[in-house]
Order: sequence, then C-alpha cells, then structure tokens
Amino acid sequence: MPTNEELQKQLIQDLLVESNEGLDRFDREMLALEKGQATPDTPNIIFRVIHTIKGTAGCLGLSKIESVAHVGENLLSLLREGKVTVTPPLISTLLAYADALRAMLSSLRDEGNEGSEDYSALLKQLQDLQAASSATSTETIPAPQAAAPVAAPAALPQGWGLFDDEPAPATPAATPVLSEAVAPAPVIERAPVVAPVTAHAPTGTPATSHPPGEGGARATSAADTAIRVNVEQLDKLMNLVGELVLARNQIVQHSALIQDNSLIAASQRLNIITTELQESVMKTRMQPIGNVWAKFPRIVRDVAGELGKKVQLVMEGNETELDRTIIEAIKDPLTHIIRNAIDHGIETPEVRRGGGKPDEGLLILRAFHEGGQVNIEIMDDGRGINISRVKEKALQRALITADQSARMSDREAFNLIFLPGFSTAEKVTNLSGRGVGMDVVKTNIEKIGGSVDLLSEANAGTTIKIKIPLTLAIIPALIVTSGRERFAIPQVSLLELVRLEAEQARKGIEKLYGAPVYRLRGQLLPLVYLNKELELGGASSTGGAVDEAVNIVVLQADGRQFGMVVDEINDTEEIVVKPLGKQLKGLACFAGATIMGDGRVALILDVVGLAQHAQVIREVRDRSMTEKHKGDARASERQTLLLFDVGEGAQMAIPLSMVARLEEFPRSQIERSGAHEVVQYRGQILPLVRVSDYVRTVAETSASGTDLMQVVVYSEQGRSIGLVVGSINDIVEEAVTVKRDSAHDGILGSAVIQNRVTDLLDVAAVIRSADPSFYSSSRTPVGLAA
Amino acid sequence: MSKTIITVDDAATMRKMISFTLKGAGHEVLEAADGVEALKTLQTRAVDMVITDVNMPNMDGLTLTRSLRALPQFARTPIVLLTTESAPEKKAEGKAAGATGWIVKPFQQDQLLAVVAKVLGP
Repeated sequence: MPTNEELQKQLIQDLLVESNEGLDRFDREMLALEKGQATPDTPNIIFRVIHTIKGTAGCLGLSKIESVAHVGENLLSLLREGKVTVTPPLISTLLAYADALRAMLSSLRDEGNEGSEDYSALLKQLQDLQAASSATSTETIPAPQAAAPVAAPAALPQGWGLFDDEPAPATPAATPVLSEAVAPAPVIERAPVVAPVTAHAPTGTPATSHPPGEGGARATSAADTAIRVNVEQLDKLMNLVGELVLARNQIVQHSALIQDNSLIAASQRLNIITTELQESVMKTRMQPIGNVWAKFPRIVRDVAGELGKKVQLVMEGNETELDRTIIEAIKDPLTHIIRNAIDHGIETPEVRRGGGKPDEGLLILRAFHEGGQVNIEIMDDGRGINISRVKEKALQRALITADQSARMSDREAFNLIFLPGFSTAEKVTNLSGRGVGMDVVKTNIEKIGGSVDLLSEANAGTTIKIKIPLTLAIIPALIVTSGRERFAIPQVSLLELVRLEAEQARKGIEKLYGAPVYRLRGQLLPLVYLNKELELGGASSTGGAVDEAVNIVVLQADGRQFGMVVDEINDTEEIVVKPLGKQLKGLACFAGATIMGDGRVALILDVVGLAQHAQVIREVRDRSMTEKHKGDARASERQTLLLFDVGEGAQMAIPLSMVARLEEFPRSQIERSGAHEVVQYRGQILPLVRVSDYVRTVAETSASGTDLMQVVVYSEQGRSIGLVVGSINDIVEEAVTVKRDSAHDGILGSAVIQNRVTDLLDVAAVIRSADPSFYSSSRTPVGLAA
Repeated sequence: MSKTIITVDDAATMRKMISFTLKGAGHEVLEAADGVEALKTLQTRAVDMVITDVNMPNMDGLTLTRSLRALPQFARTPIVLLTTESAPEKKAEGKAAGATGWIVKPFQQDQLLAVVAKVLGP
C-alpha cells in the first residue's frame, strides 16, 4: 500500500488527467451551446465537469483551483437551471475560465503548485454575469468554506446524526447497522413511498429480481465493456510481444534448417498466433484520432475570432484509430496546419463575398485508413497558394535558383513552403508566424515515418495530405550489410535500389566539389559511403577505386535525396524497434536497434540523422546556392541535355525540353508507310527518322547488338516523330559553350560534355530533311537555344 | 471488524481517494462510476455501507438512494451522500430519498473515517 505522500502524488496525477479530459469536454459542449447544437444534457455535462474538479481539488487541498472552480460553478448552476441566457460574452468568459483552470492544472503538473496567476478579473467577470442573471434568481451555491462540517452535534435515537437537523445518537457506535431489530425506522417507512421513483431511473431499474447474467447482458454499460488500463502496462505488453516476435523469427528461421516435420508444424502455428497476438496488442494501443481533434473546434473558434474570419470546421473520420505514440506526435503539427489554414488560407468575409464565396470559410479535417497507413487531410476553401509569390520568396531567401524556379512544377513550388526558413506571411502574425514554420511540421511528421504533401488551387483552396504509419513499434525495413555488420533502414525513407556493375561504377560515380556523386536520370545524387561514415572499414571504405559492383540505396531525408553505398543488400523484414540505451541515445545516426532472426543485433539507421552527419543535405543546399551565385550570369545558358550515341565514338546531345519521351521498340515492330519507316505508338503512327542517315557519322552501332531500337520521341504541334539513335547515355545539366562550326548538316555546333566532344543535333534540320512536310505549318524554327 | 463498502463517484480520483482511506481502515471497498453501475454491482455483492456522490451521469446519487431503498435487502443499509452541494433544501431532498447521512466535500480523511465508524461501529 502506498504511503500517504505517494498517494497524494498519484491522486494529483489522476486529477490532472481527469480534469483535462473534463475541460476538453467542457469546451466541446460550450461550443455546441454557442452554435445552438446543445442537447438537453449539455448544461449538466458542463456543470458536472467543474463540479467534479472542484470536489476533487478540494479534497486534495488544492484550494486555489477549488475556489476558482467554485465561482464558475455558481454561474453554471444557474445555466443548468435555465436562469442564464447564453450570449457570446458568456461563452467567451466561460471558455477563458476553462483556460484558467487548465493553466492552474499545468502549473500543478510542471511546477508542483497551482501557480501565482491572479484570476480575480476573470472571477469578477463571472460574478458579474451571474449578478446580471440574479434578476431572475438569487439562488447561489454557498462557498465550500461556508459548508457545514461533516456531522452535527445533537442526537435522535433513530438517526446517525449525519444530517444537520438530525442530532447524533448518544452512542453512535452501538447501532448495529445491519441488524433488523434496531434498524432506523424512517428508512423502512420511506421505502414504499419512493418505490415508484425507481421507474424513472434512466438506465433501467435495478435488476435484482433477474438472474445476474440476464440483467447484466441487457444493460451492458460502457463500464462493463471498457476498462482503464495503465499506459505503462500497454507499453510493457507491446514490448513483450516485440520480444515474442523476435523469438518467433528465430524459431521459424531455425526450424527451416532442421528438417523436422513436427517442429515445422509447431513453428508455423507459433508464427500465426504470434502475428495475431501482435495485431491484437497493437489494437489495444490504438486511440481514435478524435481524441486529438477534440480541441480543434476551440482553436478554430479562437483563431477565427481573433482574425475576424468566419470558419466552419467539419471533421470526418473521428473514429479512425492510430497508435497513441503517433497521436501524441501529430498533435502539434496538426494544430499548426490548422492555424495556418485559417490565418493564410481562409479570407476575411469581405474578401470572400467579393470572390463570390459564402462568408463562412470551410475547413475540413478528414482521417481514414488506407494501405496500412493513416491518411489525414486538411482542406480549406480559401485563397489557395500564390505560386509566383512562393517562388519569389524562395528566390529571395536563396532556397532555390532562378533556373530551378523557372523549371519547377506547380507541385514542387507548393512544397517550397516546407523548406526551412520559408514564410510567406506578408507580416508575421502572432498566430502562425511564431518562428516555427511548415518545415517543422514536415520534420515532425517525417520523424515518425510520415509524409506531407500539399495541393492548392488559386481561389479554390489548399489541401494538405498527411500519411502516417499506424504504429512505430514494428516497422518494415530493408536490411543491408556494411563492413560485415547488418543495418536496418526504415522502408519509409527508401526510394529505390541501384546496382552499378564495376564498369558502370567507374564511369558513373564522379566527384563534384570533392564529394562523390552519381547522376541518376540526370539528377545529381550525392553519395554517402556507409562504411566511411560509420568508420567500419571494409571494401568500399576507400570510396574510390572500386573494382566490384556498387550497391546504392537511394534514400529520402528532409525532402532531399541521397544515395547510400553499402556492401550488400539483404532483404526486407518486419523489425521490432527497440530503443537504444541511454549511452547510445545521443548518436544521431541510429534510430534504435532490433534483433534479427539469428539472434544478432542490428542497428536501425536514422536516415535524417545520417544525412546530417554526412552533411549531405546541407552540402546539396550549399551547392545549389553556390551554383546560383556562380551561375547567375550564365543561367540562361544552362540547360538539361539528353546525351546519346549515334555511331562509333560520336556523342550527340539535344535539349531535354525537346524530348517528349524515350522509347524502346523491337526492330520487328517497324512497318513501312510510303517511303517512311513507322511504328505503331499509342494508337498512332509514329514516323521514324534514323539520325545516323542525316549526320556525318557511320552507321548506328547498336544495329549489330540488340534487337531493341532506342527512339527519342519528339512532338511538335500535336505531331510526333521518332528519332532512332544508337544508345541513350545520360541526362546532364550543363552550361554548354557551343563552338559553332556547323560545316555539317544537322549539327548546330559542338561542346565538351562529360569530357567528351559532343555534337549538338539540329533536330529541326534533321526532321526537315527527312520529312519536309512535318513543319508544313511551322513558324518556329526548332533548334538549340544556344 | 472489516466491512464492505461501495463508493460511487464519477470522478475516478475521488473514488481512489475514498477507497484508499477506507482500505487503510481495514475495509473492503467496491467502486462504481455512477448509479447504474452501482446497482449492477450490488446485484451480486452485498455491502455494509454505500457512499455515493450526488451529481453523476446516467443515474445520480439521489435516484440511486431511492432505487436501493426500494429493494428489501437495502432497506436498512446505510447510504451516505458525499457531495459539494450543501444547500439545506438539497439535504432535505437527500434525506427524503432515504439517505442516512450527508458529507460535504471537501472532507478530510479522518472526517470520512469518523462518519464510517459512526455508521458501521468499531
């Protein structure tokens, strides 16, 4: 049994939980009352919340909370009796009153006392409101201090003296309570009188006459089907199940090695049961997202009120469940997004009216399960995101280059608002411009393995889509080996796997500003050698001079991609996340540990932490900035080029912007139409032009090699033509300096790209000579901008 | 002598507090969150005393008291109302419902024990 002091602590903990839950309920019912959506029970619920807080706080000796609660209770009691009219000031004052109680409770939690805040102004307001209604009623609840103590002195033989007007018996202890002979007479007499009243009991009559089972089954109350379980208990259960999953993995792995049928059968059963158990235990930790949302109506009301906006909040999918740790983690990001939506998204009523929208803005919160993930969408019907302003701002803050800005898709532009150091608010309001921006929202959601996406349409509104995993305890992961150690990489940060054979690796991996990079489909992918980063030693630790295949795990961290070079890629597996001991907690590179099927420990990599440790994220950003500064003058010359071979040794290039698609066709698909070679392509006829026929080089090389034809599809004014080339080499972004020596037909000039002399193909000229009618209506000569 | 007492209150903290106090005095304690729950528990368990809050959801303390008094086996069981309400007319209402006594919150542990001792005997 706990000591009194421990009990007091524990009771205060309980009081905090209970009271905060109650105050949330209070807010909710208050808002319902304000909107005229109150049920007959609403005033009772509101009253009871405060009443309970007052009573419990009083018993725990929290006199300040008790006395503040008491003042509100008086007013609420009048409200309950219908003696107070509901007005906006009344609601606001009572909400502020709930906040005052919350503040004292938090102070109690954090500081151990009720705080020194002075609430007399608020209490005065409450009393004034109460006085205003006193015209109709003077009845108030007396202060608890004035309340009579437990028992009154005098005694009557039949009573216990527990009522004021009922004197205590001379020898109270002598009254044998359960003996019929001396039973208190009044009670028996009263019984028949009150009997009919029982029929009015809301949830059925006492079913004593029924067998217990029958009565119980009919009136199943929440208390019967739900119990409160300590969260620690649930965490422990989850932990144990995690251990069981690991043991299961070991046994299953082991039983596969030993050819014993009964062991295999048993391990299969164990396997199934463990999976089911794991799911069930995970379910016990699930909470409806409505628990977090409950406080949003209040926030929306306050923020909208402060900004003079009208907002209707619609919440769908309240019952969608997710792990309690995740619920905790999304609370603040969601709040921030909602504040933002009201502050920046939804317009003032005047502006909305001008735009033909209803005065009241609509804010929709929606949650649903999809594909093992929880989706949360926050939609507003506000002004949408102004793309040009976003780009402008990002340029101003050097988050992107002018070139990037020009090429950026709308979607990419929207996502700029998630970059650190970005804030579009013209002036920083105290609501959403608190120095933390959407980047923090994104980081927090990515931290729990989630993702954020944003869609927006001018004047129609903005939608933010969040995807988060159901749980953090057991996650799918990719197992890799480096330096003979195994590591787990959470699947959520994994984009793709690239394997470069020795030859490719030698050619493909370059050094840029001293750092290794690989061009993946034209994008610079910074590389991190896991061996080197973790100082493991081993094959690829040198980072250069590779004479074997290179495995690159392409990862996403903080919205940027990088490649991690590992020795070996093993498999994907469901792993149980174990926190690291406190000695290792400070290591940013690791998110935790797990135990593998063979019983050995593998560390789980923290992709964001690793990227930061390798400085790969910052470098990319710095690099794009240095390139911006350097490249300003030449920015117009930089372009993305498609590199390809046509014949022996001759590399050619065309601007990627002229390429509609890259296709491969088997040679057997070639048909003839008049003098032209054609293929059927997406239900159309695609004329083919063999580039080698029009430039000076020898015949295309791949003719001898494969049966596949590499075709660059070029489209102009709805017409397409396929340029047959030898092989597609790469896509590069270069500031090319063209040497004009176009002595040759079909060549605009030459440049050195990737250390090779590269001819720039004059697409227009080639096409014109192949099919003079192609540009029949052509006004725009096609060619290199250079 | 150890007695069985049921405490009925919608505030779990309050129940815990009462329960601790009474267990400390050697009693066995049952808990219920409202009148309905209390009635259900009391279908199968006999108690020596009922301590109930007045203001509760589903079924309040007064209704619980009346309901219990209507049952022969609870006709004489002491029922003490434990509440913050101390208005005389409320007390009269409690008394009329059949309550044995009335304890006003906030109370001290020894006050509660004194009442219990008074009602149940040593």
